[in-house]
Amino acid sequence: MKEGNEKNKMPVGDGDGIIVLKDVTKKFGDNVVLEDISLSIDKGKTTVVIGPSGCGKTVLVKHLIVLLRPTSGEVYFKGRRIDNLSEDELNKIRTRYGFLFQGGALFDSLSVAENIIFPIRQHYKEIDWKKVEDVVQAKLAMVGLEGFQNYYPANLSGGQRKRVALARAIALNPEVILYDEPTTGLDPIRADIINELILKLQRELHETTVVVTHDMTSAYKIADRIIMLHNGRIIADGDAEHIRNHPHPTVQQFISGQVSEDDLAVLRMSGTISQTQFLPRDFQE
Amino acid sequence: MIGALAVKAVEDIGNVGRFGRFVHQAIVTSVRSCARPKTYPLIWTQMNLIGVRSVPVIMITGAFVGMTLAVQAYDQLAGMGLEEHLGVLINISVVRELGPVLAAVMLAGRIGGALTAELGTMNVTEQIDAVRSMGTDPIRYLVAPRVLACLLLTPFLIIYADLMGVVGGALVSFLHLGINSRAYWNFSAHGVEMWDVSIGVVKGFFFGAAIALISCYKGFTCKEGAHGVGQACTEAFVASFISILALDFALAVIFKAIYATFWPIRSLVA
Repeated sequence: MKEGNEKNKMPVGDGDGIIVLKDVTKKFGDNVVLEDISLSIDKGKTTVVIGPSGCGKTVLVKHLIVLLRPTSGEVYFKGRRIDNLSEDELNKIRTRYGFLFQGGALFDSLSVAENIIFPIRQHYKEIDWKKVEDVVQAKLAMVGLEGFQNYYPANLSGGQRKRVALARAIALNPEVILYDEPTTGLDPIRADIINELILKLQRELHETTVVVTHDMTSAYKIADRIIMLHNGRIIADGDAEHIRNHPHPTVQQFISGQVSEDDLAVLRMSGTISQTQFLPRDFQE
Repeated sequence: MIGALAVKAVEDIGNVGRFGRFVHQAIVTSVRSCARPKTYPLIWTQMNLIGVRSVPVIMITGAFVGMTLAVQAYDQLAGMGLEEHLGVLINISVVRELGPVLAAVMLAGRIGGALTAELGTMNVTEQIDAVRSMGTDPIRYLVAPRVLACLLLTPFLIIYADLMGVVGGALVSFLHLGINSRAYWNFSAHGVEMWDVSIGVVKGFFFGAAIALISCYKGFTCKEGAHGVGQACTEAFVASFISILALDFALAVIFKAIYATFWPIRSLVA
């Protein structure tokens, strides 16, 4: 079945949303990862991008901050086209974003405090170190990690690492925060702590939030709007209720977490485990 | 078959182009970093990691080069009754060729491997993307300090290697081979000119820059996973090694031409 591209109905490229993608296509060699994506991210809202692994969610979110440049199409930030800017010009724009990477991407050689100070050190000419110390303390308090300044990333758990990375992402008080799989690899309680943090930051900082996830519990909890990607195209776009009742079979299959008949057929055809298993006698001389 | 070769050729040309662009960016950014005091602490840190910690291994390399040369060359010279000229042969070989080249090869293994592994791991764990996402140029933050540290310290490390090569060669000659020390040093002083020492040291700038640029590029472009990082480290070492040998040859030709043209003039000036 040819899956339709549920294009955003809002006009794009005219500054309506804080970030706008217009007909964005991304190819890696012959592999088309994003195909003709048009999307407007609403200011001050939480937009969640869902979709199966490998559908292009991370590639999409990296286009919002132009860490990847589109093969074709345009990216706008506050009405200004940014995908054709030089890296120097983009660096100024990127200070208005915060990005939480899937694994945290903390700098191993720097302590927690140094990680959070990193963007401040890079962008402020005159640094009042007392003030910076207070900022670090405040940011760590926001993510519930007071007193962790002198720890190193290697001494932190996965959840703590993500929270430190979040503290670093909000160090420059960004207007947009992008989260790439913020709850992946965490137990349900730690995942919910991250969800609560995303909500808390959104409430307190009123920034625009874009979250990429395949965790539907998280998506329903934090989203003002949910977009579903499949095979590089947007196949569903709306609030949680709209997604729950979406008629597209792929959307229903994804949100209910059920394997398709086609996938089951492949598993059945692959034979039984006992046919492929080594037995103790196979290892005897 | 021809199609596959064509694809490989196009891919290689693309790689050369990407490396050329990386080198250009790295050089321009490194020059700008010299005028940016904020970068100095990063350069100092790299100088410590790259330079200071390499001193022992470089000194050991230099010493063994000198000692081995003494043992190897003695029989040939003694056969001609020229054993007292051993110092000239050892010292000129050490300061002009073997000291700089073997020290650079040692640095390519020690520093190049570490740089590629560090930056490669940062690349696959998205730390380089994180630097970019915070509005910082990763070339300025990660590459320029490493290039400058390698560029500035490799010549000094070569001086250490030369020094230890000379000492090692002399000790073996005096203590093991029984060469008269006075004659050894006299012949050496006449045979080895300041020019010979200088070209060895100047080579260090080129070798250091080549090691840093190749290693950083391989780290920045390494593929995902442990295999990707390992492969990048191997490629970085092989490429650095070949570059050192190629640069050594090119510089030998250039320095020879310069020597032939300008060195005789010094007698007019002196």
